[in-house]
Amino acid sequence: MTEGKDDIWGIAHVHASFNNTIITITDQTGAETLAKSSGGTVVKQNRDEASPYAAMQMAETVAEQVLAQGVEGVHVRVRGPGGNQQKNPGPGAQATIRALARAGLEIGRIEDVTPIPHDGTRGPKNSGF
Amino acid sequence: MSERSVSRQKQGKQWYTVFSPEQFEREELGDTPADESEKVLGRTIETTLGDLKNDASENNKKLTFQVNEVAGDSAYTQFDTFELTRDYKRSLVRRGSSKIEAFVTVLTTDDYRLQVQPVAYTTKSADHSQEKAIRRTMIDLVRESASDRTFSDLVDSVVEGRLSSAIYNEAKQIYPVRRVEIQKTTLEARPEEVAAEEETSVDVGEDDSAVTADEDGAEEADADEE
Repeated sequence: MTEGKDDIWGIAHVHASFNNTIITITDQTGAETLAKSSGGTVVKQNRDEASPYAAMQMAETVAEQVLAQGVEGVHVRVRGPGGNQQKNPGPGAQATIRALARAGLEIGRIEDVTPIPHDGTRGPKNSGF
Repeated sequence: MSERSVSRQKQGKQWYTVFSPEQFEREELGDTPADESEKVLGRTIETTLGDLKNDASENNKKLTFQVNEVAGDSAYTQFDTFELTRDYKRSLVRRGSSKIEAFVTVLTTDDYRLQVQPVAYTTKSADHSQEKAIRRTMIDLVRESASDRTFSDLVDSVVEGRLSSAIYNEAKQIYPVRRVEIQKTTLEARPEEVAAEEETSVDVGEDDSAVTADEDGAEEADADEE
């Protein structure tokens, strides 16, 4: 690593669906991944992948990895599944941000980047959202 | 486990510092790692106007810059997109009032092509004719301001809200307007690209269309015979 500086910021992309949570921390352009994790890396059962607990564990490990690379803070972009599915982020989103902050990363802007259709296809059946 | 592999991957990479365009005081925007300097070209970096100016009240305006030049470990950028944040746009929408949007593609005096999207929110629901009149003035004002401004002047007036307040002053004479914003501005083509397009585009004169019409007629006649 060519670390002389200590004020590098990154972007934490948090994809929180109801079945999983995927955390990717990139540089500020979003072109280079610094660390990533998803539910399956910390829990055994599929149904636990989206749980806040799993999100916490994941956030801790990725925070450790990026802190080692000299990243001091992150801007957060959360998203739910979007499209014609849920527009709200799943249970892992909030837990992730909390855990990242507790792990010693500074949190900058938090933005919702759920893809919202300007009217697309019909939603899945029985979708009450 | 993964920690070690990450650090090995990162060894060959150099960090480049990204700077904003001159128009925005060559401020430091952030850092990006890459193994080759060419790979930094074309990357985009997003920031808010509040960050650039150290003014937290401007944090609902996002600016995207694209890297177009790399020198040493510095990368220089050009304006790419201006946009309001999603939550701010949502906060402007109210029940029982009209939202009037327009999409205007303009060419500045120095041959940059931009798409400007002004939007006006009225105090009460406006009639369709009033909406149309407001949209007309929005489009005219954007066209007018683009025709006597350079690229950076136009971007400045969009970012600092001068264009939207000019529209506001005109539009409120048609119907009471609550708020006028430029919700998005994107750079569509640079002078070189505009010039290239003009070269490749073919003028469709009267003669050309007449010829094609004839050919079409001939083909149809052939088909009839079969």
